[in-house]
Amino acid sequence: MNKLILKLAITAASGSLISFIPMAAQVSPTTHKAARVRIIQGPELELVKEYLTIIRWTTNNPGGSPEHYGIVHYGIDPKNLSQTAKSPIRLNPDHASTIFRVRLEDLKPGTTYYYTVGSMEANGTDDGTKSAIKQFSTPGESQRAGR
Amino acid sequence: MKRARLFGMLILFAAGIGALLLFPHIGGAQTSRRGTPAPPYNPYPPGILPPDLTSEIARVRSEVASIENEALAEWAGLPPPTLTGQPPTLQGTGQRANQLLGKLMNFDENISPFKNRACGFCHMPYAGFSGPIASVNLTMVAYPGSYEFRAGKRTAQRYTYAPFFPVLNYNETQGLFFGGNFWDSRATGYLLGSPDAEQAQHPPVDTQEHALPDTACIAFRLTTAAYRPLFETVWGAGSLNINFPQNAETICDTPGGASQFGGSATPINLTAEDRTKANNVFDHWGNSLDQYEASPDVSAFSSKFDAYTKSKYTLTADEMAGMELFNGKGNCNSCHIDGRGTTATVLNPGFNPDHSKTADVTPKFTCFGSANEGLPLNPRDAIYYQNTPDFFGFTANPDGFGFRDLGMGSFLRGVAAPNPNSNWTPFAPATDGQFQVSSARNVAMTPSQCPTTEAGSTPYFQKGFFHNGYIKSLKQLVHFYNTRDVYPFNVTSGNCPAGTIEKVNCWPMPEVKNNIDMTTGKLGLTDKEEDQIVAFLQTLTDGFTRFYPDSDKFTGTCMTCNPATDPDCTPSRQGNRSLIQTPPLPACGSDICGVSPVPKPPIP
Repeated sequence: MNKLILKLAITAASGSLISFIPMAAQVSPTTHKAARVRIIQGPELELVKEYLTIIRWTTNNPGGSPEHYGIVHYGIDPKNLSQTAKSPIRLNPDHASTIFRVRLEDLKPGTTYYYTVGSMEANGTDDGTKSAIKQFSTPGESQRAGR
Repeated sequence: MKRARLFGMLILFAAGIGALLLFPHIGGAQTSRRGTPAPPYNPYPPGILPPDLTSEIARVRSEVASIENEALAEWAGLPPPTLTGQPPTLQGTGQRANQLLGKLMNFDENISPFKNRACGFCHMPYAGFSGPIASVNLTMVAYPGSYEFRAGKRTAQRYTYAPFFPVLNYNETQGLFFGGNFWDSRATGYLLGSPDAEQAQHPPVDTQEHALPDTACIAFRLTTAAYRPLFETVWGAGSLNINFPQNAETICDTPGGASQFGGSATPINLTAEDRTKANNVFDHWGNSLDQYEASPDVSAFSSKFDAYTKSKYTLTADEMAGMELFNGKGNCNSCHIDGRGTTATVLNPGFNPDHSKTADVTPKFTCFGSANEGLPLNPRDAIYYQNTPDFFGFTANPDGFGFRDLGMGSFLRGVAAPNPNSNWTPFAPATDGQFQVSSARNVAMTPSQCPTTEAGSTPYFQKGFFHNGYIKSLKQLVHFYNTRDVYPFNVTSGNCPAGTIEKVNCWPMPEVKNNIDMTTGKLGLTDKEEDQIVAFLQTLTDGFTRFYPDSDKFTGTCMTCNPATDPDCTPSRQGNRSLIQTPPLPACGSDICGVSPVPKPPIP
């Protein structure tokens, strides 16, 4: 019973009691926009290669447009995150939380990058999340040669 | 009257079969301009065309003829509908007549210059109306057209449930495209209101498929079709009464793209009135084919899953586990929407997908959207080799390996096909690399003699998955979604580093890096969980609750291998022996990647 109450509480808190409007053509169902989108895990490095880095984080299900973009602002100066990478994901109306994952390509080897993450709906509406500035370093040339 | 028509039809069948036996290449001789031989177009290096291609083409053509003859017999036995009421309606058998007309046209080889290709040639029922030749699916991916061996660039997409896709539209609120048909959504439905109907209009005049040089050739060929009376019953007496010039046959015998046409899309000289009539016939061609594809003959809703939603079938433990993974950890239903589990209830407040009410009793297992899943370039694809002129002076792909398939992006730029809505063009960079999210239904359908798509100890039917056929089994498909970003390598296909196995623990780089969907790529599924999702996908095959029409027409041979002696005889490594090295890739052709609005970031 306690587990049941806990699940209800989590569901309600995440703002993701699901609503589905049956549509004739069954296009992507939308989820009610969450009252507040918050990062509940991460951001963290999923993969760091010489040519590719993937950053991931988890939020409560933000709802809204079925497609969202994870956004990473990054750069080599923590005060000037001038570059942007964004990757699309599809929301699953059935899931309480959403994992965002963003690909950063064509990075320089042996370089430290600073970044923050956020997300938005496909129509450009910001989800209102923004992480603190974090950092990572790409493997150097010598590491690459050894692989 | 009915008996007389039946008798006439029987004579026609007998004559047709007799002719086929006596002249096995009837209609297939590749000649042009009345007798000029057209040598096969073969720009392919050794090993690109499968060795059994000629015999397999003959096999499928025979199956196509068989289905056509049975459809003719069904028409002969169909009571004529009665045109009545206001608006006039074909009362009684009108709907079946229209569906049957679509079926007859779908399996009519005469709708091609050399009278050797029907739509069904690339879309056979036993393969879920996708590619019927295992060796083609394993190798060249695209199917050879009427002028052999021109070929397209993508796998033959399944017909099933295609009619349910809405007219392509950009939803400004959602910031997304929905609908359309074809991998790149270029059949928008903007004119006929049905993407599926407009899809049916493309292959007959596609230079690498049926290759008719003029849409009016369809009307021209229908004037001599055995089922012409049915066409006129459905679409009106006189609808095929068009005054064609004497050279119409010569023109329609010549494949599209031939230099002699000088780029004209209407080489048949018709009066304005007759051109309008021919255009109407072309539209009706699409309409009737759409109705066939929407009918239970094609989109049947007769799978185990459908039985399950009616409590007529109990999923096995693995199938049930697969469905829960499909909805849960695998996240497949974020795009392949299954209509289940979208309502959390008080009794079941969690998100266990199978304890809530069914939201849609006929889910289509697609979101009708598009995505770039990051498939590697498949160097076996026939398109890369067609960079020299053929006998008719046509070159399908001047870019050779500089061709990049940008999918919907190329369509929105008007590169792959004309774009009927210029407001969509600015969205091209955001859709580069995106391909339609096909319905997952019938992804596993195979001929009954070859009961699976997966290599192993039982006979199997080789299919090719995704738009470029790079993936060769459902296990690989799920493993790709599961591990694309776990085993990424900055190499092209055929060049995985020593110590790795391509598609097992090495995924070559995406052909198009822009807009890669990151919903999947690292799902954390175990090997067993991957298999369970495959088991669930196999429940989506029509033909469980009732016979799937024409699914018994396969006359070929299943593929077999011995897992005890062949390390590639597993679903994980299936087809790996056919991998070839991708050559060093030249830059993307300027006619593709240099067209405004150019891809962002640039595509190398």
